[in-house]
Formats: sequence, structure tokens, C-alpha cells
Amino acid sequence: MLAIKPYRPLEGKRLALVIGSGAVKCAAALGLWKVLSQAGIEIDLLVGCSGGSLFAATMALGMDVDECIEKTQRLWNRKVTEKRDMTSLLRAALPRVFNFNERFGMIDDQAMVQNLRSVFGEQTFEDTRTPLYVVATDFHSGEQLVLSKGRLVDALRASISIPFIWPPWPVDDRLLIDGSASNPMPVDVAIKDGVEIILAMGFESSYPRSVSSISRFAFHVNSIMTNNLLKANFAFHNLAHHAEIIAIIPEFEQPVGLFDTSKFPYVIEQGERAMQEQLPYLNRLLAAESSQVK
Amino acid sequence: METSVKQQDQTTVVSITGSVDALTAGELTNLLLENIDSQHVRLVVDLGGVDFMSSAGLRAIMTSLKESRKHGGDLRLAAPQPGVEKILKMSGFTSILKSYSTLDQAVASFGS
Repeated sequence: MLAIKPYRPLEGKRLALVIGSGAVKCAAALGLWKVLSQAGIEIDLLVGCSGGSLFAATMALGMDVDECIEKTQRLWNRKVTEKRDMTSLLRAALPRVFNFNERFGMIDDQAMVQNLRSVFGEQTFEDTRTPLYVVATDFHSGEQLVLSKGRLVDALRASISIPFIWPPWPVDDRLLIDGSASNPMPVDVAIKDGVEIILAMGFESSYPRSVSSISRFAFHVNSIMTNNLLKANFAFHNLAHHAEIIAIIPEFEQPVGLFDTSKFPYVIEQGERAMQEQLPYLNRLLAAESSQVK
Repeated sequence: METSVKQQDQTTVVSITGSVDALTAGELTNLLLENIDSQHVRLVVDLGGVDFMSSAGLRAIMTSLKESRKHGGDLRLAAPQPGVEKILKMSGFTSILKSYSTLDQAVASFGS
């Protein structure tokens, strides 16, 4: 079990890890975490968006790296996309006949919800050892919504509601979709919490190799919008923060598909490498007097 | 971080080596603003030797960019390494300032 210190606000320089959207690529955060734990560096706050929220949640619950890998492989695999949501598709094809509604998604989400329940059960945000924020998007207003209370299953299911793929998910009286629709790398959540040092791990969405189906078309367009949003927000957050944001951007020379869980070891290795590069600076920063940090 | 300043044609070239981060950005900001105060408002920041730039480094560049433009000049970047260039692109900097692959190109861009 990794040592994660309890929440001690305003005690020294706090360190947050923000894991942006990116499906399987988000497993790179486990490589980052491995490096931090080997260096004895503890995380004070975790923020996750979409796929990143799954990893942030397992870390926040205090699971070790191997356990996180096992749990997230159980969560995120090809089975969760195997079954089409035929009712939704019929509603899309004949909206008046079948009463099209806002709960549209091309993929049946039952397998995904079952997986989430098998890993997180009835655990809530209050069960986490490290404070956790999960980012989703309000379907009706388009606003970013930061979830920090209630059942983890609901928050995570909402945060991964990839537009067109999985239907929106209700939380309290709101209908929520994927956090990446409003903020693919929610650094602002850590800024707002007053954290000084923010490790921001983000991923640009890859584009499908061929646009040979309506789902690939939807995914392609979604990726274009998400990538541009990622850059726009990152630009603002970098200029808005009073202390330090260290971008940890792993390089993936091998293609990594949306559900390519067989690439977990490779993805984790790339995350480890990206964090290793920044570790000397992070150590210097943590050792520096607060007055030296500009 | 180490810096050096030289005049090339009618442009001030500030060359940096090392890391531009929260521990060094203050020093860089001071250096660039001092040059602008001294009417050296046509600035080229040579990033050829910079291996890392964080949010604090980006803010140092932004502050100096705005100040140089306010005084009728400009700040342009030269020779960013791939890792730094990626951060510049991701944070939108390449859409608001001019960046050149070589120092000579950056200096020449100001004309004579």
C-alpha cells in the first residue's frame, strides 16, 4: 500500500495531480504515481476527468499501483463497447416513432456500469484517503460540474459519458455527460482549491485511422473539439495560476486505441518516463523556500 | 538557468540555457523588463538551450511580450527544442507570438 498523507490544508506546499481525459492513455498516470511513490513524494489532492477519473479514484482510495492496474483493466476493456444500444439507435433512425430523447448513446452502458459497481461498490467520496474531485459536464447548461460527494460509481459513470457513445448519466437532479466536453484537463479545479504545485497529465485525443462508421465519425469530430478545448483551457490555466503547473505529457510512438488495454504496460512505462524527466525539478521545487517560488 | 544578452543588428537577443520554471522565472522576467525599460523593445528570446519550461516560464514570457508591445516593440522566440515547442503550442503561445526555428531567422524577422 502506498503512503498517501491525510488532508492537511495549508501545511507547506501542496501537490495536486490532475489526470485529464484520454481513455487507456490515462494509465500513464500509474507510471507517474510509481515514480512519485518511489521518490517518497505524496499527493495531497487528486482531480480526474473522464478516463482520468477512473485512475484518480483508484489512487484516492489508497490502492497500490498493481491493484490500480488490475482494477482499471477490469473496468476498461473491449467488452464495455461490444453491445450496441439498439433502442437508442432506433430512436435516432426514427425519432418520432420511437420518441428520441436526451439519453442517447450508441453503446449499451450496462457492462460499464456493472464493471464500475464491481470495483467501487457503494464507496463514496468520503471513503477516499486523498481528497478527490471528478469532473463532468451538465448536459443542459454545458457547464463544468465538479463532483466531490456521493457515490463514486455515479460520479465516474457521469464523467466517462463520451458524447454519442455512452448515454448521459443522472446525478441528483442533473443529467451529466463526459467531463471532457467542458474541461479535458481540469487544472482549474486544483487552482481553485489553492494548491501550489500542480502536476498536469493530459492527452490529446488520437483520430481514428479511418472514418468508416458513424461512431468513428462521431469520435473523430469529438476529438477535434476536445483537443482544441484542451489547449484553450491549458493556456488560460497556465497564465492564471499563481504558483506552478508542471505539464507531464507522455509521448506515445505506438498507436494507443480507445480501449487498447493490452497497451497498459507500454502506456504506464511512457508515463513513468515522462515523470522521471520532471522529477529533478519537482524535488528542487519541493525543497525550495516558498519565497523562491514565483 | 543561465542567460546572456547581446545586440544583434537592432535587436536584443536574450539567450537562455537550462530550465525556465518557478525557481528561475523571476530572474528572467526582471532581465527582460530591464531591457524593455532601457528601450530595447525588439527582443528575441533564444530558447535553443532551454530544456524545460513550466507555467511560471510561460508567464515570464507573456509578461515581457505584453510590455514590449506596449512600448512599440515585440518579443519573438527562437529555436525552441521539441519539448518546449510542444508546451508553447499546447498553451496557445504559438498563436499569439512569432516563433522561428533558428536565431538568425528570428533576428532577421525584425528587418533592419
